[in-house]
Amino acid sequence: MASASPEKTRWMRGPSTPLRGALLGLLLERPGHGGDLANRLAARLGETWRVDTNDVYRLLEQLEKTGLAVSRDEPKRNNHRRTHLVYYPTEESSEALTLWMETLLPREPVRLGLQAKLSVAREQDAHRLLAALRAYERECLMLAQLVSPTDGRGRSWTALCMDCTRDAVYGQLEVEITWATRTRQRINEFLERSR
Amino acid sequence: MTPLLSFLNVSKRYPDGGRDILVLDRVSLEVNAGVSVGIRGARRSGKSTLLRLAAGIALPDSGTICFEGRDLAQMASRERGRLLRGEIAFMSAADWRATPGESVVDHVATSLGSEGLTMREARRRAVLVLDQVEIGAAGAEEPTTSLSQTERARVMLARALAREPRLLMLDEPPQLPSLGECDRFYALLRSAAREHDITLLMASEEMSALGGLGVMMSINDGELTSTEARGTVVALPGRRRAGAERSAQ
Repeated sequence: MASASPEKTRWMRGPSTPLRGALLGLLLERPGHGGDLANRLAARLGETWRVDTNDVYRLLEQLEKTGLAVSRDEPKRNNHRRTHLVYYPTEESSEALTLWMETLLPREPVRLGLQAKLSVAREQDAHRLLAALRAYERECLMLAQLVSPTDGRGRSWTALCMDCTRDAVYGQLEVEITWATRTRQRINEFLERSR
Repeated sequence: MTPLLSFLNVSKRYPDGGRDILVLDRVSLEVNAGVSVGIRGARRSGKSTLLRLAAGIALPDSGTICFEGRDLAQMASRERGRLLRGEIAFMSAADWRATPGESVVDHVATSLGSEGLTMREARRRAVLVLDQVEIGAAGAEEPTTSLSQTERARVMLARALAREPRLLMLDEPPQLPSLGECDRFYALLRSAAREHDITLLMASEEMSALGGLGVMMSINDGELTSTEARGTVVALPGRRRAGAERSAQ
């Protein structure tokens, strides 16, 4: 993973980094106004990620403040007498997106970060994604190692509850690892086909 | 220190219709004596192939597999067979074969045929290991045909342990009727490995089966991913790492 200067990763600090990163990716694909970007973000991230349009406006402002987006007041397409702010990427945007793809942020829910990265990844990011997915898989395996096993002798209610909790952890980790390995497999198959 | 088991850039393909499927892709790993390793993978992920190669049951298409520094592919098949009957034990639920009318203790004792023991000595050792897997003296005299699934799994384990292997491999733990019995079986397996300083390599689709093992790996599409926690071995595909230490159990 990259070790960039703190200056260049400052925009990744704080909550909502996955959404800021995904918005940056969408801006690089094509400029858009807040509503358009919110719709594209919701479509790209899927049903389970509830994107709030107000949040999107706030995050776009933050990107603009850090120099990764610039807005212009432009006439609306269907009503030329009214205007809205259209956001564009800047010269720094592409490099910032690459850096985000390479950066594992320890205090963010990692899967959300990966999901956001996947939603706007460019083809040249494939290897960065593979590395991030492998790191995530390893992290899940390490968590699984930390679970204390049962000796199968527990007869009490408390022992039962502990076994159920243990199963919950294993179940979640299994799902995460399956997702990460399937995603890696899909990317590898794509790379194989495009060779 | 020479690892007990090592893979260096091991690849294995199997024919599938008109083409070859790459089951293992340049896998490298080292497992030191006394370490317990869990390999989690879905069906057809390559985990059984990995274990069968490690046991010398199959040979790789390329790369090197060594048991205590000895290249399995360079051994005569008789020598590999001897290794598999002695220092390496390979357990698979599908491998249960018992002679009708045979008692449990005799079933375990007959597996010691190549150890140069008398039948009395073999039976004595069999009784001891059966006790370890919680099959008491009365159960030991029962015919193998009367065994429940749980008892059968324990007898299989006893049969593997009786030969005092240095490396025990379990390809997908047996299906048992209750979760409690599964947990108990895994606990017996772990404690036997610890007590006898046996290196354990166990593959399963279910992570819960691998709980409590020193190192956890996952295999997908012939590629291994692993933790390197507790200072144990593990290298990523195609990149060998040395200097592994024994896992703290």
